[in-house]
Amino acid sequence: MKMGKWRADGQAFLFLLPFLVVYVLFTIFPMIKGVEMSFYKWTLIRKMDYLGSGNYERMFQDQEFWASIWHSTIFVLITTPTMLVLAMVLALIANRNSRLQRFYRSVFFIPSILSVAVASFLGLFVFQPYTGLLNSMLHWLGLLAEGAEIFWLTETHLAWIAISLLTLWWTVGFNFILYLSALQDTPDEVYEAARLDGASDSQLFWRITLPLLSPITRTITMLQIIASFKVFVQIYVMTGGGPLDQTRPVIQLIWQTGFRKNDLGYAAAMSYMLFAILLVLSALQYWMNNRKEAN
Amino acid sequence: MKWFYRIFSLCMGLLFLFPLIWMLVVSVKKEGMKIITVVDWFTPPYSLAVYHEIITGTKLLHWSWNSFFIAVCVTVLTLVIAAMSAFAVSKIPFRYRTFMFFFILAGLLIPGEAILIPLYQVAKDLDILNSYQGLILPALASPFAIIILKSFFDGIPNELLESIQMDGGGVWRIFTSIMLPLTRPALVSIAILTFIGSWNNFLWPFMSVTDDNLFTLPMGIPTLMNQYTEDYVKPMVINTVASLPIMVLFLIFERQIIKGVSLSGIKG
Repeated sequence: MKMGKWRADGQAFLFLLPFLVVYVLFTIFPMIKGVEMSFYKWTLIRKMDYLGSGNYERMFQDQEFWASIWHSTIFVLITTPTMLVLAMVLALIANRNSRLQRFYRSVFFIPSILSVAVASFLGLFVFQPYTGLLNSMLHWLGLLAEGAEIFWLTETHLAWIAISLLTLWWTVGFNFILYLSALQDTPDEVYEAARLDGASDSQLFWRITLPLLSPITRTITMLQIIASFKVFVQIYVMTGGGPLDQTRPVIQLIWQTGFRKNDLGYAAAMSYMLFAILLVLSALQYWMNNRKEAN
Repeated sequence: MKWFYRIFSLCMGLLFLFPLIWMLVVSVKKEGMKIITVVDWFTPPYSLAVYHEIITGTKLLHWSWNSFFIAVCVTVLTLVIAAMSAFAVSKIPFRYRTFMFFFILAGLLIPGEAILIPLYQVAKDLDILNSYQGLILPALASPFAIIILKSFFDGIPNELLESIQMDGGGVWRIFTSIMLPLTRPALVSIAILTFIGSWNNFLWPFMSVTDDNLFTLPMGIPTLMNQYTEDYVKPMVINTVASLPIMVLFLIFERQIIKGVSLSGIKG
């Protein structure tokens, strides 16, 4: 667009102003404020003593903190590969030419629109021992002996399985849609040509579908790693971070430190560690995407 | 083999639907019935008494309204703010344009979760804890929306804008009568993603609000649930009341929502 230099500056400023106000006030400024807070003993009420790097030194020796980082990592390790496989399988199901195409698309996506609290409580009630849906189901099918119970939410390994299953059910819809739209972008001619050459179904999948999906797979992988690392609500509702804090993720620890133990300064320091980890993951994603474009 | 695929697909579909069906059926069951096997969840007697009790006796509907109101405000304001900035960065030749672009881009790297603790302090200093402003304002700066919209604005030819200028149209007219209408699909997609994001936002309301008149659904539901641990009817009524409106919205706008979500893949 053509306009005078001063006029352009003035107009741009007016158009950018609303964004700059909220962006600086609620994103940039807290970023900087957090640095200050992390160097102090800082409670919910007020700023107290200057600690220097005290909060950070404490963090590096804090077993609880590293355990929570590890728990978030476990969650990433479980949910990322399972999410990819499930999303792809569901997309393949919904992409088949059948009268039920629309039904499948709605059904696989609909859990994703539930409020996080609703989904988490559904998870809680499904996996509850004695009265939960899953155990009653297993009893009824005769897969679980009478009188026997599986304690999904109070045994660490089972708790991870329950939390992950709930998360897959609740969030796979988004990734499913990404795969589905990638599948639908693939021209049918590609498959027809391969079929004429006598390719079997499994060859079509491994040689054509999977390679064509690899850019979106990379995108989903990175988005999922970052999203899973930020897990909190499902765990908070279903296990409360238990048993014995064995499933407590890092965001829950940050929240507890700040708001339950009244130590915002230390919580801010932990937040920076979380920030650093997420930054490395984002950088990795950026690097992988650029490599993808370079190829 | 074909039949195997079909049955497998159908099983997956039912598996996804089953918890929701369970939720709906249990919610209309009469309270206090003994559940011996899984079949008992689904058999009569039914009753809507608990719906009445929950709707009149709790603040659930008010919280639904809060969630909805906040999500609408956040969506509309985010769109306006993001579109204006994207327009400036895309089409107005001002100095520091490149710098501004990277300044916005940097925001993509700042995860909201990592700045919540200082954000709490900032909101406290501004005295907006426990208020609608406090719930809405921090959610408005969306670098993601700006970057996406900019890429759509970039595709609109400058000649078109200049022809409006020739006719004596100002910058604001160009923005409202060309840029916005021509990028409607992108705007709708971003609106949908923003709405879903706000609807599901848990952490910030959870930290910044203590007044239960300002609760949103995600944080109101846990406080209600803690009172009911024995019987499943009340919790399922709560879940259903909280979910039905959004499910109806989904079924109405399904096509646009699906399109909006596929756009989020660009984020990567």
